[in-house]
Amino acid sequence: MSIGKKVLLYMALTVSGLVMVFPILYAFLISFMQGGEVLQGSLWPESFSLANYFSAFERVPLLTYLWNSLVVSVLIMVGQLVLCSLAAFAFVFIEFKGREWIFYLFISTMMIPWEATMVPNFQTVQSLGWLNSYAGLTIPFFAMAFGTFLLRQQFKTIPKELYEASQIAGISKLRFFTGVVLPVAKTTITTLAIYSFLTAWNMYLWPLLVTNNEANRTVQIGLKQMQTQEIASDWGVVMAGVVMVILPTLILLFAGQKRLQEGLTQGALK
Amino acid sequence: MKKLWIGSTAMVLLLAACSGETEESVETTDATASTTEDGKTEVVFWHAMSGELETALNTLVDDFNASQDEYEVEPVFQGTYEEALTKLNTVAGTDESPAMMQVFEVGTKFMIDSGHIQPVQDFIDEEGFDTSIWEENITNYYSVDGVQYSMPFNSSTPVLIYNKDAFEAAGLDPEKAPMTYSELKEAAEALTTDAQKGFSILNYGWFFEEMVAAQGGLFVNEENGRAGQATEAVFNGEEGLNVFNLIKDMYDEGTYYNSGQNWDDMRAAFQSGATAMILDSSAGVKGMIDNAPFEVGVGYLPVPDDAERNGVIIGGASLWMADDIPAEQKQGAWEFMKYASSAEVQAQWHVDTGYFAINPAAYEEQIVVDQWEQYPQLKVTVDQLKETQANAATGGALISVFPEARQRVVNAMESLYQGTDPQEALDQAVEETNRALEVDAAKSGN
Amino acid sequence: MTVIRQEATSGSTGDWHLERKRAWSNWMTGMMFLLPSLILFGVFLFYPMVRTVYLSLFLTDSQGVPVVFVGWENFVNLFQSTSFQLSAKATALFVLYTVPAGIVLATALAILANQKLRGIGLFRTMFSATMGMSVAASSVIWMFLFNPSIGLFNRILAALNIPGVQWLLDPQYALLSVSVATIWMNTGFAFLILLGGLQNIDQSLYESARIAGVSESYKLRKITLPMLSPTLFFVTTVSLINAFQTFGQIDLLTRGGPMESTNVIVYSIYKDAFINYNVGSASAQAVLLFVAVLIVTVLQFKIGERKVHYQ
Repeated sequence: MSIGKKVLLYMALTVSGLVMVFPILYAFLISFMQGGEVLQGSLWPESFSLANYFSAFERVPLLTYLWNSLVVSVLIMVGQLVLCSLAAFAFVFIEFKGREWIFYLFISTMMIPWEATMVPNFQTVQSLGWLNSYAGLTIPFFAMAFGTFLLRQQFKTIPKELYEASQIAGISKLRFFTGVVLPVAKTTITTLAIYSFLTAWNMYLWPLLVTNNEANRTVQIGLKQMQTQEIASDWGVVMAGVVMVILPTLILLFAGQKRLQEGLTQGALK
Repeated sequence: MKKLWIGSTAMVLLLAACSGETEESVETTDATASTTEDGKTEVVFWHAMSGELETALNTLVDDFNASQDEYEVEPVFQGTYEEALTKLNTVAGTDESPAMMQVFEVGTKFMIDSGHIQPVQDFIDEEGFDTSIWEENITNYYSVDGVQYSMPFNSSTPVLIYNKDAFEAAGLDPEKAPMTYSELKEAAEALTTDAQKGFSILNYGWFFEEMVAAQGGLFVNEENGRAGQATEAVFNGEEGLNVFNLIKDMYDEGTYYNSGQNWDDMRAAFQSGATAMILDSSAGVKGMIDNAPFEVGVGYLPVPDDAERNGVIIGGASLWMADDIPAEQKQGAWEFMKYASSAEVQAQWHVDTGYFAINPAAYEEQIVVDQWEQYPQLKVTVDQLKETQANAATGGALISVFPEARQRVVNAMESLYQGTDPQEALDQAVEETNRALEVDAAKSGN
Repeated sequence: MTVIRQEATSGSTGDWHLERKRAWSNWMTGMMFLLPSLILFGVFLFYPMVRTVYLSLFLTDSQGVPVVFVGWENFVNLFQSTSFQLSAKATALFVLYTVPAGIVLATALAILANQKLRGIGLFRTMFSATMGMSVAASSVIWMFLFNPSIGLFNRILAALNIPGVQWLLDPQYALLSVSVATIWMNTGFAFLILLGGLQNIDQSLYESARIAGVSESYKLRKITLPMLSPTLFFVTTVSLINAFQTFGQIDLLTRGGPMESTNVIVYSIYKDAFINYNVGSASAQAVLLFVAVLIVTVLQFKIGERKVHYQ
């Protein structure tokens, strides 16, 4: 690659990188500002004091919330991975009557507006006695059409002959699934895992509905709890909360990036 | 694993099939109240106070719990007023229902109609509790036909907030807030520069309702829904038109700033000097004084030149008691309400939050006197409420479709900036509100 | 089971019984794998959806219990209301603004980040960072950026001597502004998936292209895009469906205003169901939205699958 082209590439990368990251940096900066500073539109804080972070932790039980979010997100992630990969396997490798039809049924679930399902679902969870429990927060989300669809696309790249050969060799379906399919689809599964985790981490309205006390609430509720309407919100504190909420997910992305990259490259080499 | 799945699923389906409308019939009145480890009766209290307000509320509750050993009030944040009400609505009448609930003022009619609440009047009568210690203008809002349904809690009214430094720079008297529309317009004109507009109102139904009521105008018929079921919106009359004309005229003259629907955007516009006057909630005054880099003045809500000043409607929220709960919990909720309305507690609440004291004796307490010395502007907000005449207009409208009516008014306000004729904009909002009222009447079978 | 299978594949022609038995056993196995998902879908999606369809034919009381049967009236009212027409228009425009632009941007970034350069990992992380941002957190930040008096955008304009714009308050700009924020929020995810797709392309194809000495744009058109098409198809499908269901940023940034210009159907459903307690009307809108998304998705599958190039 010529030097000129490299310089050009780096410039393009830097500019677009900064544009993408700027809003996040801005949030970090605001999290150090005091009340008046924010509303007068300062870009740079007068001093980098941690006062807002201390108030954020004082105001809501942020640690409990963070822990709950972590548990809920991990449970949902695991549940989704298991259910989605099982379903995707059936859609790709097992031929049976009505398979196409059921697949479209799955896809159609993505189109159901969740606002419409919220109240009946709340009543279902209530009658199951799942309010204020991890069950109510997680189980309704275990089945996911999107994940099934994603894995199905990936499983399709595994040659059919391989499956037929294994059947003839007398390898059970479950064995083929865990021994062959899952390792091959590692990359996609990692991507899906990250996606599941992040989506679960970011839920707001449902956790608010099904929990009635602080002991099992999640961080997004805490974020809302810091904002006010009738009196001025303390934006510095809210942003400190925002930073605390996005930090774990950003770290996950940072850490996962390498893995993700490796996985992706492996996929390319095969 | 799989067997477990199938088993639990069958159960889920069964239960789901059984749930639904039948839930109403669940009787919880004879259930025993849940108690804490040390034998106190637990009183669950749902609220919508966030940020610093929540801190103040939690302090108040902690003090109550420490003050006696029979009841333990447990405050739980349930999102915004709307979200909290939605949630209450889903659990009303079941075991999950809280004993006490904070509901915003426009939800009053909705709560009364819900059939799941216990009017506090019964407790007042039983104990012969003297309600005259409460601020009359506040209790008026929450009583219908002489029955006090809920207990006023956090109350606020709108006020005019202005930038004194800007007044001085424009050659205006910073100690004299505009009281009438023409004074307001003149001041705004003098204040307007390239970088600064004169005046702004948040696009929020509450401010419109208040400006109509300030002139003695009604929002709906049947004496604002207090003499009977309101069937028609009437805010497109003279009073409403005055407000809309004011906005339209000032906007066209370039002295009005459109600050949108977001409270904090409006405050940012004021504090950054984009507009020199705004309407804000009395509860927001103190924060504004603390954070603005200039001197802040507070004045009454302006009225048209020839209109008689009627005063303001009380905003904010009140505390409601659930009906289908054990008697001890009701008693606990009532004890808390009484405690919360005492002069001493109200004084602290007023100082901490900027909300009004529902018990005027609180204003005599030392902490309030000290605070007012430091923030003389706060007294203006209380005076405006004290001078309010009690009538149908300032009592506030009582309709169950209030949230929808507000959305329609906001829409009409926004259309003004696009050049829609004020009368036309109002008529449309009224028409749509009427439709909502009609649908609502059809539902309740009236 | 294996024995039966072997007999069926190697056995005499037309053994009807065995064929049938095999089909039955396959069906059972398939169902075993699908059952957990199917059950949860049934309870938490299909049951509520059926209930929604049912409720759309009623007026309901504030608790969502049907009280008056009105047949198609809810639907008729919707089609006659200007509010709903505006919602439909806003939804269509929102999809149009966000989906194509979002995909083009994410693809461009993915191609840019798919170079073998030092420190490319850092840039990839930067590009995917928005995936870690919750809608609530992102919206708060964008609210500041759009703020007409203190926001960054207007201050940049002011520095260039261009009069400020009321980004979220002017009906002409509000939907566009929300779309820009939405594109930003969605880019991280689309970028990651597309980058994965790019890295899965067989390098030998580029190698032969290099030997043949073809131009960059030719490589892009003839190798990269066709080979990326399954991934693009996937991203498009998901983006489309997500765009139809966008809620959080609308609630936080504009609340459907100004003048209902950002009142997309999902938001309108939320308002009717959760604030105005018109569950009947909200249900009718939900049904219509479902049908609309269904039609768009079926069309997309019909048109898209034909153009997709599977390896």
